[in-house]
Parts: sequence; structure tokens; C-alpha cells
Amino acid sequence: MSTLAVTRKDFKGVRRAKTLWLVTGLLAVLSGLLAWVAGDPGRMASDAAVARDLFNAIAVLMSFLLPIVVLVACYLAIAGERESGGIKFLLSLPNSRRDVFVGKFLSRTLVVGSSVLVMFLVVIALSLVRIGTVPGVMLGIVALVTLYGAVFVSIAVSLSAFVKTRSRAIGSAVGAYFGLIIINLGIPVISVKSIVSYAHHDILGMARNPDLYNFIWYLSPLVAFQKAKNLIMPLEMRSTMFRDSFRNEAEIEAAAMNGREIAPELPVYLTDEFSLGVFAFWLVVPLAIGYWRFQRADLD
Amino acid sequence: MPSIQTNGLTKVFGEDVVAVDDLDLTIEEGEIFGFLGPNGAGKSTTINMLLDFIRPTEGSAQVLGIDAQENPKRIRERIGVLPEGFGYDGNLTAREYVEWTVQTKGATDDPTEILDEVGILDDADRKVGGYSKGMQQRLAFGMSLVGDPDLLILDEPSSGLDPNGIQHMREVIRERAANGTTVFFSSHILSEVEAVCDRVGVMNEGRMVAVDTIDNLRDQAGGTASIDLECASEPDNLGLGSVGGVVDVTVEDAVLSVEVEDPSVKVDVVNHVSDHAEVVDILSESTSLEELFNTYTGGGRDSDRAAGEAEGGDGLADAQEVSA
Repeated sequence: MSTLAVTRKDFKGVRRAKTLWLVTGLLAVLSGLLAWVAGDPGRMASDAAVARDLFNAIAVLMSFLLPIVVLVACYLAIAGERESGGIKFLLSLPNSRRDVFVGKFLSRTLVVGSSVLVMFLVVIALSLVRIGTVPGVMLGIVALVTLYGAVFVSIAVSLSAFVKTRSRAIGSAVGAYFGLIIINLGIPVISVKSIVSYAHHDILGMARNPDLYNFIWYLSPLVAFQKAKNLIMPLEMRSTMFRDSFRNEAEIEAAAMNGREIAPELPVYLTDEFSLGVFAFWLVVPLAIGYWRFQRADLD
Repeated sequence: MPSIQTNGLTKVFGEDVVAVDDLDLTIEEGEIFGFLGPNGAGKSTTINMLLDFIRPTEGSAQVLGIDAQENPKRIRERIGVLPEGFGYDGNLTAREYVEWTVQTKGATDDPTEILDEVGILDDADRKVGGYSKGMQQRLAFGMSLVGDPDLLILDEPSSGLDPNGIQHMREVIRERAANGTTVFFSSHILSEVEAVCDRVGVMNEGRMVAVDTIDNLRDQAGGTASIDLECASEPDNLGLGSVGGVVDVTVEDAVLSVEVEDPSVKVDVVNHVSDHAEVVDILSESTSLEELFNTYTGGGRDSDRAAGEAEGGDGLADAQEVSA
């Protein structure tokens, strides 16, 4: 099948590119360092807790580092072929544009998946050696990080289908990182929430609507990642987000006085489970738009 | 069924840059057709539409009876292409490229034979990144031969090749054509097209200005042949006017340039001159195809554009051709 022939050839080429090995190595070294330090023999907490904290830390690290790796691995997936003329060979052979587009997506997903796998193998090995155990949340974290990587592959490959030169591909990749990660980190003033709230409330003069602001913020894969992680982590390790949209804020505080914890109530579009919907959106919609665009482009 | 047929094929880039203008072209099965024209004439744009790399603004194209826009994949199963402006992933080897081609085409060719046929077998396991332009061109040509295609589309196939390589490629093209393959071959170099093609089409500024055999074109264009003779000393009183068929004679230092109406007259000229003077060197140009070419194309885009006319647009069309 020609999609798979495209995938195989692309994977072979990428596998031999030095940049990607460098980036994968960096990822593995950074994560390995975290694992090594976490397993310090003088640690206070229980092995299980340390291992769980380690995987949580890896996940947090990946939430903003993995998108960089993916963008580096994919920004030229299609734009590079157009600029270099490789697309001429691809489309002179019995490949449809769909074969090329899907083949590229599969190949780059495989590349990113391999990088993530290598990184986790290092962490798991060090966790076993230094801490002596791996946590129960391990599989969930590996699955989540892989899914998160696939979401960014979808975004990056589709962006790559939109441009025909390397320089524009770089520009769009940087733009994507800025729009999807940087402004969603929750940094005051330059966070999506402040910007939207400023535009909505201060400029348009509408009444404040935290649910709306939170929802827009939630559309970032980064936020969806943090919320999806809550689905995996035990209650005490969940990150609390969207506090200003809690429906039972008073009850939570009252319970906290008595040393109890109760789960927050949120509109359905702000729940942890909704993160899967956000991921599905980012997995499907960019691919659909990128494919649509690539089908119609003049490739000369 | 014609191998290639276009009906009113038109491509307009942007608002008003007409790269290909209402092109009707029919290439019959088994022909070797030379597609000629200066850079920027619209040759590559036409080929890119036949291959569905770009989409026509108007009109349609059928390749092997299949609509080029509706089902390009089925066309690609049966054609071999040497595209213009191709590029390799430098991390793969030539053998891997040919293997990939064989696999994608579902062909049964032995990659070693293909690599041998185009003369790069010794370097087959090196990464293509280190290949010279000529070797890259040979590899691309080899890839186009995989799967014994019904139609070969070769866009400027000899670019980057040395004379041996060009000669060899011509032989391969003739062989394939003798076995029934239709060959559609673009070039801006006339001698090349003359050497291989049954029929040529000359394109200029997006339009097909002439389609015929080389001989007929030559007759129609009324081009003349010329011969240059270098003599030991400045020739004088040769009486060349008495030789039938001589159109014009010019003398510059010791070099005698004689224009004749037919190539066969050249021999008479040489005989006549050698009787009267010592000839040191002979430089003969076959019916100046260059002139023929210029007759049809007005010397190409660069020379005949009035200053200021569609400056930006023209530049864009040229850029298209270069980057394509």
C-alpha cells in the first residue's frame, strides 16, 4: 500500500537525521537526570511516593518540552519536501496526495513515539535501579504523553502542509508554540485568560464571564494535558484549575476547614474528562484542515 | 487513444500571469515528442498540470486517456517521470531510492539492473546527499524507467549531464521508444530535441507556436545554413558568387562566413574555396536551429518584451520556471 511505502521511506530518512537523535538524546538525558536525582539514597518519602512524584515531574516537563521536540521533528514534514523538490518524486510515483499526507503523519507519529519511548525506557530503568520500583501511574503517564505527542504531530504536520518554504515553516512552528504553549502557561498579563478577559470585559464592556475565559484557556493542549493528568493521578496530586468556575467553592472551603477534601463541581466543558474532547479536537481538526489545503495547493 | 491530450489547458498564476494559454496538444502513442521553448515559456507549468502538481485554471488534460486531475494516481501507475526541480532526501542511498520506486510502483525490476543501466551502480550504496548534479540526474532518470512505463515524461532530462551521459540517455530513450513507450521530452536546447525526437512542439509565452517534424519546421521557417572557413591568410577574389545556392558572404580577417540556402551547398563551398585559398579550419553549423528557434520564439521572453510591459508579472513567470 502506497501510504505505508511513503511512511517507510520517510521514517528511514528521518531516522538518519542527526538533529532528531540530538533532540531525543537531550530529552532522555534531561529526564534521566530527574530520575537519577529523585532516586537519591537520602530521600525522605516512601519509594512509591518518590516514584510517583518522579513520573509526575516527567509529565510536567514533557508538557512544554515535548511540543518543541515534535515541532522540530515535523515542521518540514511537507514544507521541506516542497522546498527541496522531494514532493516531485513522491507524486510522480503512484501516490495520491492523501497517501503523502497520511504517510507523513504516520511516519512522524512513529518518530515522535520512538523518541518518547526511548526517553521513558531510560526513566523506567533508572527508576527501577535508583528507587527500586515504578509507580502504578506509569502506564497512564506514558499513554498520556504519547497521545499529547500525537496531538502535536497532527498540528505540526498540518502547519507544514500550509507553507511551501523552510522559513515560513519555522515561523509557523514558532507561532504555534507561542500560541499553544507560552500564552497558556498562566503567566500574568500575557496569558490567554488575561488577554481574553481584557478584550471581553475591559474593551467590549461585557460582564466578566470566568466560565468563558476558562473554556478558551482550556482549548490549549497544554491545559488539556494538565487536566487529563488529573484523570490518572490520585486525588491529592491533582492540580486545581479553574477555581473561579467552581460551583461548590463554599462547600470545598468548609470541608477543608474540617480536614476533608471534596471534588470540585464544574460545568461539563471544564471537567477533567473534557480534556479528552480537547485532544480529539486537536488530533482531528488540524489534520482535516491541513489535508484540505494540501489537496488544493499548487505544488511547484 | 492519444498518450497525452490537452483541451484548452490554461494556467493563470495570481491575477494575470498567464503561464499556459489555451493549449491544445495531442501526443500519439509511440511518439518521441520534443517539447521546446525558452525558459519561462510554460513548458514546466504544462508538465506540472499533466502530473497534477498544479491545477489548471481552465481546460483539461488526459494522460493515457485518464483525466489528470480526477485520477492522477492511476496515471502515475503507468508513467515514468523525470521531474524538473526534484530534490532528494540526502540521507537515503540511490539503491534505496530505486527500491522505493520499484516497491511503490509494484514493479518487478531488479534495482541493480536499473542502477547499472544509468551508470551509477558503483555508487549505488552511497548516500545521495554526496552525489553530483549529473549523478542525481542519472538516478532520477533511472527511477523514471522503473516498471516499463507506457509513457515517459522527461522534463529537461539532460540538465547537469556530461556529453557521455547525454549520449547514453538518448540511446536509452530510443531503445524504450522502439519497444513502444511514448516519450514526451522537454528541453530548451535545440540540438538535443533534434537528435531524438520524431516531432516537436515549440512553446513561447504560454502558447504553442508550432508543432511539426523538425524537417517541416525548418522548411517553413525558411532558415538558412552557414559555414565558416578559416583561411591561412585573408581570402580575396574567390568568386563565390558563381557557386549556386550561396546567399551571402562575409569576410572578417581570415575567416570567411558563407550563408547557403541548403546544407548540401556547403560541400561545394568548401571545394570552391580550397581551390583558391589555403583552408585551415572548418566550422559548420547545421541549419541554424538557433535561428529557427528564434523565428518562432522571437528570441525568448527576455529579448522581446517592451520595457515596462508587465515587468513584475514576467519576473514572476520566470521565477516559476526556475523554481519549478
